[in-house]
Amino acid sequence: MKTDTVEVAGYTTLPLQLPPTSTYPTPATHYLYIRPHEPRIPDPDSTRSLFIVNAPIDTTEAHLRHLFGTQLAAGRVERVSFEDVPVKKAGVAAATEPNLSHRANKKRKRITADDLQGTLDDITLPRTWDRPLQKSGAHAIVVFADKPSMESSLKAAAKAARKHTSLVWGSGMPAERVPALGVARYLAHESRRYPERGALLRTVNDFMTIFQQVGEARRREESRKAGEPDEDGFVTVTHGPKLNSVAREDEVREIVERQKKKTEGLEDFYRFQSREKRKARQQLLLRRFDEDKRKLHDIKMRRGKIRVSLVWF
Amino acid sequence: MSAHTVKRRKLSPSPTNGTSPAQSKTSTGATPTNSKEVTEKPVHAAARKDGPPSKPHPVQRAKDERTAELAMASGFYKSGFFKLQVDELLSGLRMNYDKRISKVQDTLHMVKNAIESLPEISPKSVVDAEKELRTASGIVVPWPEPRPAKDAKYTMAYAKPTNINVVGSFGLRTGAKTAESRPVDLAVTMPSSMFQEKDYVNYRYFHKRAYYVACLASGIQETAHDLGLEVRFGFQDGDSLRPLILLESRPSKDDKTPSAPQIRIMTAIEPALFPITRTLPMKNNIRQGSTADNTEAGEPTPYYNASLRSEATVSLYHKYLHSASQKCESFRDACILGRIWLQQRGFHTSFQNGGFGGFEWSVLISLLFEGGGPSGQPILLRSYSSYQIFKATMQFLAGRDLSTPLLLFASDIPVPNGGPVLYDGHRGLNLLYKMTAWSYSILRHEAAITLKMLNESREDNFDRVFIVKVDEPALRFDRLLTFPKSFNGDTLRSLHDQNTLYKVLSRALGDRVKLISLASHSVGSWPVKSKALNKKASHGLSVGLMLNADNVGRAVDHGPAAEEKEEAASFRDFWGEKAELRRFKDGSILESLVWSDQPDEDSIVHQILAYILQRHFKIAEDDFFLHGDEYDDMLYDEGDGVISYSNSPFQSINEAFSELEQSLRNMEEVPLSIRHVAPASALLRYAALRVQGADGANEPADIVLQFESSSRWPDDFAAIQMTKAAFLLKIGDSLQSAGAASACRVGLENESSKVLNSVYLDISHTSGFLFRLRIHHDREQTLLERQLKNKSISPREREEVAYALFSYKKVFVQTPRLTQALRSLCTRLPLLSPTIRLVKHWFASHLFSAQICDELIELLTTRAFTQPYPWECPSSIMTGFLRTLYFLSRWDWQQEPFIVDLSGDLDPEVTETIKTRFTAWRNIDPAMNTIALFVASDLDTEGVTWTQYDMPSKVVAGRISALAKAAMNLLRKQHDELDVADLFQTSLAPYDFVIHLRSKMLGDRAASVSKYKNLAEANVSGRAGKMSIVKSFIHDVQACYNQSILLFHGDERAGLVAGLWNPQTLKPRNWNLKTAYSTAPVSSDSTTTQDRVTINQPAILNEIARLGDGLIETIEISDNKQEA
Repeated sequence: MKTDTVEVAGYTTLPLQLPPTSTYPTPATHYLYIRPHEPRIPDPDSTRSLFIVNAPIDTTEAHLRHLFGTQLAAGRVERVSFEDVPVKKAGVAAATEPNLSHRANKKRKRITADDLQGTLDDITLPRTWDRPLQKSGAHAIVVFADKPSMESSLKAAAKAARKHTSLVWGSGMPAERVPALGVARYLAHESRRYPERGALLRTVNDFMTIFQQVGEARRREESRKAGEPDEDGFVTVTHGPKLNSVAREDEVREIVERQKKKTEGLEDFYRFQSREKRKARQQLLLRRFDEDKRKLHDIKMRRGKIRVSLVWF
Repeated sequence: MSAHTVKRRKLSPSPTNGTSPAQSKTSTGATPTNSKEVTEKPVHAAARKDGPPSKPHPVQRAKDERTAELAMASGFYKSGFFKLQVDELLSGLRMNYDKRISKVQDTLHMVKNAIESLPEISPKSVVDAEKELRTASGIVVPWPEPRPAKDAKYTMAYAKPTNINVVGSFGLRTGAKTAESRPVDLAVTMPSSMFQEKDYVNYRYFHKRAYYVACLASGIQETAHDLGLEVRFGFQDGDSLRPLILLESRPSKDDKTPSAPQIRIMTAIEPALFPITRTLPMKNNIRQGSTADNTEAGEPTPYYNASLRSEATVSLYHKYLHSASQKCESFRDACILGRIWLQQRGFHTSFQNGGFGGFEWSVLISLLFEGGGPSGQPILLRSYSSYQIFKATMQFLAGRDLSTPLLLFASDIPVPNGGPVLYDGHRGLNLLYKMTAWSYSILRHEAAITLKMLNESREDNFDRVFIVKVDEPALRFDRLLTFPKSFNGDTLRSLHDQNTLYKVLSRALGDRVKLISLASHSVGSWPVKSKALNKKASHGLSVGLMLNADNVGRAVDHGPAAEEKEEAASFRDFWGEKAELRRFKDGSILESLVWSDQPDEDSIVHQILAYILQRHFKIAEDDFFLHGDEYDDMLYDEGDGVISYSNSPFQSINEAFSELEQSLRNMEEVPLSIRHVAPASALLRYAALRVQGADGANEPADIVLQFESSSRWPDDFAAIQMTKAAFLLKIGDSLQSAGAASACRVGLENESSKVLNSVYLDISHTSGFLFRLRIHHDREQTLLERQLKNKSISPREREEVAYALFSYKKVFVQTPRLTQALRSLCTRLPLLSPTIRLVKHWFASHLFSAQICDELIELLTTRAFTQPYPWECPSSIMTGFLRTLYFLSRWDWQQEPFIVDLSGDLDPEVTETIKTRFTAWRNIDPAMNTIALFVASDLDTEGVTWTQYDMPSKVVAGRISALAKAAMNLLRKQHDELDVADLFQTSLAPYDFVIHLRSKMLGDRAASVSKYKNLAEANVSGRAGKMSIVKSFIHDVQACYNQSILLFHGDERAGLVAGLWNPQTLKPRNWNLKTAYSTAPVSSDSTTTQDRVTINQPAILNEIARLGDGLIETIEISDNKQEA
């Protein structure tokens, strides 16, 4: 695709040659859309960041470092954050907090519990992929070391686009910097799916230890809080150890059930009850009849008249 | 009114919650209160009647309203909805006779005048008469076989008919508007003077009749020509003894108007011409040589006699039916219902088509008004509704076995054995004389099924009783047998031949079959100037077998004991050298037959047929074709050589599972005790197409373990997963140390999510089977539901939690439940398991594996077994498979839920709940973005467990429907010549691109391992390992391009993945941040299109190629699509 378009909707379009493969030899050009990062709520890093749209699915941080650092030779990349990966931004911080069940009853807590929670969040089961993929058309934010290197990178990209400089995606990158794609990646996945027993056990034990500490810390905080007057001078009075709410729900359900059982067998006690029941049944029959008519009407609307099918299908 | 109620309750069970005494009271009480509303209701029969305008009186009207009311409030009809549908159906089928009469009246008059003005022809010898007719008008006399001898002493003549009258359904106004021709029957009564006393013997009557018919044909030729009609000969009811004249409108040139109805001119005689005693079923009227004068000697000729008698009863039955229709209001409607029912089941008056058609039905009803009950009391009452008449008649047909003769208005009439007898003493005719033993058994079979359908409360079944055509042999019978050799000839001969064949087949197949049906084709009409088509019409004969699944595979047949000399001799005589004397374990010495049950041999039914047809009919194995075994063979080839659920791979994995369960329960190191270990895999419910076999690692069989509840589980999602991991590690250690498992390893799934299950334990059992165990923690559901109600989470989190809840229910609740249900169903219905597996192969062949989950296929198939109507439960893989496709092809999935009865608990309330849910889903999601198919069962009323989240998407669901329809179309066209492989043919035409996978990667294990030796220590060997790589790859591609590509793939044998571009992405569009696929700018000069981008297909394919490096052989792009 030859094009003179260097800009689309305010984005600089950077064509990248994709390395041809034996299975799909047709040469292909991929287009990156680049512009300075301008988030709605600016953060200190945004001035030295570029916003990239339509990253190839196999993009890694190393790829972008290589692209801007070596291939365009314009600026040093500090870090890259991809779409779908939690970013430390004030606006989305709440949404990406992973510990779901605790959030509801989490009070503004002390550093200790928070810290522990942070440590806890970092303990996860081992990853099973050595190289995650991006969704097609994904965005990424590339944070450069400083503003000038961002600006020169953008310029270099525009220039490359204008001059049709052939940039081959990922070419010249040291092979060991990113794990290979293809069968190798899947084989690695197959083996990584089964982590080594010892490592897994360690992870689990670490997690459980810290999880307990978090719980304890939180309990301590709460009991401390119970005795302290809040800013209006009120002291929150609480009962002793709280039953967890799941158990309480179960209890309530049981009580309701028991009550239901009690009233069983008394439905025909008064005459009005049976009368009402009879009436209800008649109403039901009538309603059914009307429903049936409507149903028939629907069917007729859908398939035309009811008629015998002439072939068996 | 009370009379109604009483009768009604005798007859049909009320549709809801049984017939309580309170209900009839209710219905009576309800009437006055509601009658006002009913008057406003537009739907009722009377108002729509197309009958004569003078008919709908106010009285009639009121009465119909009351009927509707009654039907609604009680069980007068099956249900209110059923009645409405019957009304609708009838109003569509009632013929407008006034219109029709006015249309044909003139024609009939002219034909009648022409006949009446024919000159008499004085008696002549056979030869003269024939020659004269041929020279005068070129007409060939349609003699029945055998044609009269040249030296016959009797003469041929033509005399003015005593009467010409319109008879049959046209005269009685009982016909139904259907596609089949509705001829107008004109009966010409021949004068008695033409016949002699002894004319009933030796075809003499039929010869005279044939000449008479030929004379009529020659006489009306000119008139017919003027009217634009063509005169042809045909057989009355397919009976070659009785030719008749057909007047058909000439195949006209581009004539769009519906052609005038066919007119049939048949003959009749005065009822008293031949005495009834001469034509009783046991009389012999075809005599040879010396016995010529002896009435009693010789074989009885029941068919001949009845054929003769039916000529004499034309006017009698016409009057009889007419009076019945006068006496009973609903008679006509009942006739229409009956006609439809028969027609949909392939029954017609002619003996080739069962010998039971609309005429027989009407007469049967009329007779049942007068008798038929166990002690002679009438079975029908005149006050019955058409539906009640229909149902009671069904009950009669199903309940009363007429092989034991039923004589009405007569006694002591000897009748022949074999066929059914319903003898009408007043008119001297066995009404069922054209029925054979087999056609009668099918009629009863159908009646019994229909009765069951009418009595069933869980479904309405209206469609299945009246609408659906159920006579396709491949769906009806388990095996089809076709002979090129003709068993057709003239009626008497073919009857005899077919009877012999039937007897031999019945005896040879014994209790391996439930039913045998013979079907031949009736001879069509032929022009009057040529000879009858008798000889030429050599359509093959086809035989349908309904198998008895329990006995069909028996390898050894036990005959009579050696001491029973007579039986043993007859056995030997029948079987020839195949019979051998054997001593059995219990010490008995029996004549017996031994068949081979080796899988590489032909099926036992095939062996028996080949042997017996050769022995008794000299039909070589190449000269007949047995259809139906191919499905078994296909499953054998595709399903790792396993057919039955009781075959060893399924049995041993189940044994291994119970062993494992024991070992799990005996674990001591695990702190919690085990509540439940449930199987949750297709392998453990006999439903997996491929079984775990010898070739190394296989797809593991899922099992679910649940501990006794404990309060010590954490409430945090991540912590729950960690606890599970800890438990699994413990269980693995414990199993290994106990020696129950050779290896255990904990595996990870969904590890990027905190709320989904992310750990499992793979157990290599000592028996060699591989199990995958997951821990079911029931608190998760509560936690997830609570989380879902939490208002403070982001939409994305909510989505994830919703998905987790869905997946929890699927993995831990529904899969074990379904497994349990199918395990018991598969043992109860031995053909369910092979059918499911073959259907799975069908879905895989059409590359649906990525779109449709196994469980869904299982449910779709199971319905053909648990709700088999309008057939019975399938007793072969062929019927099971084809009917599943048939149900699929008829399923209007956009408008209807698919409801499966898994445990027999499906009652109307459950059905109602399911339907409500379905409606709710369609209201929430009318575009069917997340739910296309809705498949519920009595165990899973939610209906979306297996189909939510685009499994399959709307497009795929549509394609499934289309493919099922195409398969049925093919079957309809080719019938028993259908090549089974055609149904499983993968078509790549509709796809935009096809990714061919490396065959090495899939097939040849050694090669792939050696190539990636450096990585080979990774435990990827065997089919499952490779398959999981391919699956991961497909999953990756689908996940990366879910907006732009739809992928299709089958199982590993296909070795390819096909893809479709989302058509919405093909057009250039404005640049948008949310465009979730790779794009390229559109080059253009004009400013309007400056910011437009288009999908960058080469780049995407390049990415896929890189992603699947080493997996992919080539990527092939369909040419015709690329430009689009």
